[in-house]
Amino acid sequence: MDQNHPPLLYLDGVSVSFDGFKAINNLSLIVQHGELQAIIGPNGAGKTTMMDIVTGKTRPDEGEVFFTGDIDLTRLDEAAIAELGIGRKFQKPTVFESHTVWDNLELALKKPRGVFSAWFYNSSKEDEERLEEILATIRLTVRRDELAANLSHGQKQWLEIGMLLAQDPKLLLVDEPVAGMTDAETVETARLLKEIAASRSVIVVEHDMSFIRDLAARVTVLAEGSVLAQGSLDHVSADPRVIESYLGR
Amino acid sequence: MYPTRLFPKLLLALALLLAALPGALAQDVEALVNALPDGSYSDREKVIFDLAATGDDRVAGLLNALGEGDLYVHEEDGRVVVGKRSGRDYALTDALTGEELGTAPSSALEKIRVNNRLRRAVRSAIGQLTLMSPSPPVRLRAASSLLRNADPDSLELLDTALAAETDPQVKKMMETARAAIIIKTDAGLEEKAAAINLLAARGDREALAMLTGALPSAAPELQPVIERGIAGIERKLALRDALQNVWYGLSLGSVLLLAAIGLAITFGAMGVINMAHGEIVMLGAYTTFAVQQVIRTSFPGLFDYSLAIALPLAFLVTALVGIAIERGIIRWLYGRPLETLLATWGLSLILQQTVRTIFGPNNREVGNPSWMSGAFDLAGLSITWNRLWIVVFALAVFAVLLAVLNRTPLGLQMRAVTQNRRMASSMGIRTPWVDAMTFGLGSGIAGMAGVALSQIDNVSPNLGQSYIIDSFMVVVFGGVGNLWGTLVGALTLGVANKFLEPYAGAVLAKIFILVFIILFIQRRPRGLFALKGRAVDA
Amino acid sequence: MITKTLLRAFDGKAIWVVAILLIIAVAVPASNLYLPVGHPLRVANHFVPLFGKYLTYAMLALALDLVWGYCGILSLGHGAFFALGGYAMGMYLMRQIGDRGVYANPILPDFMVFLNYQELPWFWHGFDMFWFAAIMVVLVPGLLAFVFGWFAFRSRVTGVYLSIITQAMTYALLLAFFRNDMGFGGNNGLTDFKDILGAPLQADTTRAALFAASAIALALAFIVCSAIVNSKLGKVLVAVRDAESRTRFLGYRVDNYKLFAFTASAVMAGIAGALYVPQVGIINPGEFAPANSIEIVIWTAVGGRGTLVGPIVGAVLVNAGKSWFTGVWPEFWLFALGGLFVAVTLFLPKGIVGALTQGWTALKARRTSARAEGGSDIAPEPSPAE
Repeated sequence: MDQNHPPLLYLDGVSVSFDGFKAINNLSLIVQHGELQAIIGPNGAGKTTMMDIVTGKTRPDEGEVFFTGDIDLTRLDEAAIAELGIGRKFQKPTVFESHTVWDNLELALKKPRGVFSAWFYNSSKEDEERLEEILATIRLTVRRDELAANLSHGQKQWLEIGMLLAQDPKLLLVDEPVAGMTDAETVETARLLKEIAASRSVIVVEHDMSFIRDLAARVTVLAEGSVLAQGSLDHVSADPRVIESYLGR
Repeated sequence: MYPTRLFPKLLLALALLLAALPGALAQDVEALVNALPDGSYSDREKVIFDLAATGDDRVAGLLNALGEGDLYVHEEDGRVVVGKRSGRDYALTDALTGEELGTAPSSALEKIRVNNRLRRAVRSAIGQLTLMSPSPPVRLRAASSLLRNADPDSLELLDTALAAETDPQVKKMMETARAAIIIKTDAGLEEKAAAINLLAARGDREALAMLTGALPSAAPELQPVIERGIAGIERKLALRDALQNVWYGLSLGSVLLLAAIGLAITFGAMGVINMAHGEIVMLGAYTTFAVQQVIRTSFPGLFDYSLAIALPLAFLVTALVGIAIERGIIRWLYGRPLETLLATWGLSLILQQTVRTIFGPNNREVGNPSWMSGAFDLAGLSITWNRLWIVVFALAVFAVLLAVLNRTPLGLQMRAVTQNRRMASSMGIRTPWVDAMTFGLGSGIAGMAGVALSQIDNVSPNLGQSYIIDSFMVVVFGGVGNLWGTLVGALTLGVANKFLEPYAGAVLAKIFILVFIILFIQRRPRGLFALKGRAVDA
Repeated sequence: MITKTLLRAFDGKAIWVVAILLIIAVAVPASNLYLPVGHPLRVANHFVPLFGKYLTYAMLALALDLVWGYCGILSLGHGAFFALGGYAMGMYLMRQIGDRGVYANPILPDFMVFLNYQELPWFWHGFDMFWFAAIMVVLVPGLLAFVFGWFAFRSRVTGVYLSIITQAMTYALLLAFFRNDMGFGGNNGLTDFKDILGAPLQADTTRAALFAASAIALALAFIVCSAIVNSKLGKVLVAVRDAESRTRFLGYRVDNYKLFAFTASAVMAGIAGALYVPQVGIINPGEFAPANSIEIVIWTAVGGRGTLVGPIVGAVLVNAGKSWFTGVWPEFWLFALGGLFVAVTLFLPKGIVGALTQGWTALKARRTSARAEGGSDIAPEPSPAE
């Protein structure tokens, strides 16, 4: 790779297996700075496992995973990777249900993560302004003091995206952000993600083709744990192998 | 006075011949017996050997009485009698014939005193007598007693007996005894070396003691031979100790297995921590007690079948209790394992107190049927029947359970629910029904465990508490959702515990095991045989 | 910064709780010491150490609530920390006996003379000084919790597995302390104490002072807990409780947070144990029994976990009930306690205080929603185990 301008995320020859089943097989993937990349693929293609590897939840059996060129992610745990600036949104919305919307965002806000700095943390004016700004972006200003448990499904998804914004990551991994959303919410979410991607790199895993078209992102197709095709949506959806394994006909 | 006194050795050599002619020498025997009270201790010793040399059947009994200090002289008629204390007086029998002679006060009797040396003489004399008995078991006993005191004076007699011996077992014992004697004599080096090897081959603690005793005084050439022999015996003994520990460990392990296996099912399939599990075991034990009570009062002849009757009954009772618990309490708490833990703990207190109220706080007597009493010997290990049956029973329960899980529709559904509750439910499996049945099965097995444990432990309201923590350790160590894990876990912990006990004592051994499990869980948070893959983290 | 955090501790109702505890700390001893015998408001002599005992139990329940109610760690071994604190205090009290024991040995406590000890075991040195014992009261439970937690949380032992190994821990300690050669008095434990800091333990004034100390310690513990749960630290703990792995992906080192809560809680439990021992006059290995630790959990559950007032209310109520039951109807106490476990988990999962606050907010919500329509749906029940 180019030593002067290394890619933000670099996966090479990564494999991992569970009880003999190869979930990821010799996967190589590059994400550039400021890039919005969509990953599609049939169930069991290894999309979620790929995210698990990048965020430190799963250790690969072999292969290299580097962040900003020189940081070996396979040696770090989830918390360290998150502090490096890799945020993750899960398939199932996971917000802290017994906290208010505001507290959820405050917890995510990029601040020292140590025990004692949390104990003696006092929010500054800038912090509060930043949180207000995010609240406005995810359209939850009026519900700021409500418990997250009481939000609708779509609102929880947005809150989670808002938490990622508060985290201010360099790389965002988003797993099926529009699953279970109405069409209007889906369009809104696409707008939100594009806004976020303006200032950072984003990887979106999604099944919804029209959503990916809305994103206008570069598309990587995964199948059986490795990359099948890459390019624009039109390019990959014309690829006979992709049609064979995923899109169907 | 008597020619035999002058030629004792000659007479010893003629013992066989004399034994063949007891009648001819009957007169002599009586004369010898009457001579017993006279003279010094050393005179008496000679008489003892002379008596033995007669080979007369009756002499063994007499000499035994002498050794026990029960031989007296009646002061009135000078007759030698055996006296046994009976109330204030002594009941007398003739020393030779065993004829009853009424009683006499102690003032009318004079004890024929023996000292240690005489006792030894008596022992070896009896040995000589019995070495030539026509009955092989008597000869065998005699040979082994000779082996123990290894009196060099008996050597010639032993050689004679050996030459005539035909029974291989007796012959082997005699040869060993001979070896034990040889190393005490001044025999040739080669002969001694052979004797040492023979003793070493015997390989028990007695042989070890003999060789260790012989080591300091042995000729320098022989010392390495003895040392090798000692090392060999020690190896053999260590092996036997190890076997003994393995057996005790398996026995403990099977008890743990019985106690834990029901828990493994409910914990594995339902994620339910049933703290009342121990009390369900206790209910099984009390069912056995109740069955035996009914049998004792109404059908005493059926006592040997009491366990066979109690077993299905205990299964039924506890399975119903289990289903009631599941339907009444646990089903409201699914997905909240910590709350289930608390509720079932409360339940365990209630069950304990209920049993205490009905049956009283004390231990209840549960008898062993005859086929579970006693012990037998296997390769030097003493094995009690009740322990053996419990090992067999535990393995049988394990096998049956494995078959139920793998071969029956219920088992299939249980496994499906264990692996993915939601998926199983959407495939049309009635998960509530499976839960109730699983809980019933787990509890029923706990009840059967209670029947088995009633045979080796005190049946009291606290019975369950003493097993619950151990059972949890087994399940956690073995891994959830895998019966083999429970089996391996139970046996490993049992054997490890018993191997630690000789070094650390029972309590420390247990502490070590607990600490080991705490550390083990750090390494493998899901136990030995954990389910793997993404499903686990969910 | 720190003052702000402390100020936050007095937010809302906390100030009232602290005020009530301080009033009790003064009022109960004063009424016992200064009101004439027979006065209707006088607290009888035997009630002072009994109420003092309840206060130490309340502190223990509060400590458990910090890890269970706020961080989701159900420790079934908190009795061990309590007992260790108690033993540290007991060792000091033993050394204070000096040559007034039955065997009149100036150095060795009676049980050591009885067991033929030739000299004081190394770990008994220093306990003749109060300050040393006081440090140990904090250090020993804290260190055990730190080491235990460091291993357990780093390896991500969670849920029932953690509960079971904490139970194994206290069980192992129970077995160990029962051994005579451990040097802690074996089966009989430590007892026959004479005085503390020179004041005789049987004197009314000493008992009143110990009561006041317990109330003040509880108030301080309450302030510390309040300062924790009302800070961002407390929010992280709740986040860990509700969605541990999500918290980790936000960049928080979950193991450190758990370790902090667990250790702080163990220290509090140890202090409670140290205050408990001089008031009841004995500490024995029975305090390590797993059943005791589970009982602490029920106090907390009855009062309401995840609230700071709940465990205090629960501990006092359950123990007052126990005192009453065992006096009047001893054979039914286990039925009552068992029934309480079942009833609370089934019908009152948030405990008394939790249910009251829930009812209160529901009432308020109905009033406000009458004006502005809408209102919030109640949080759904958790889904079954996966």
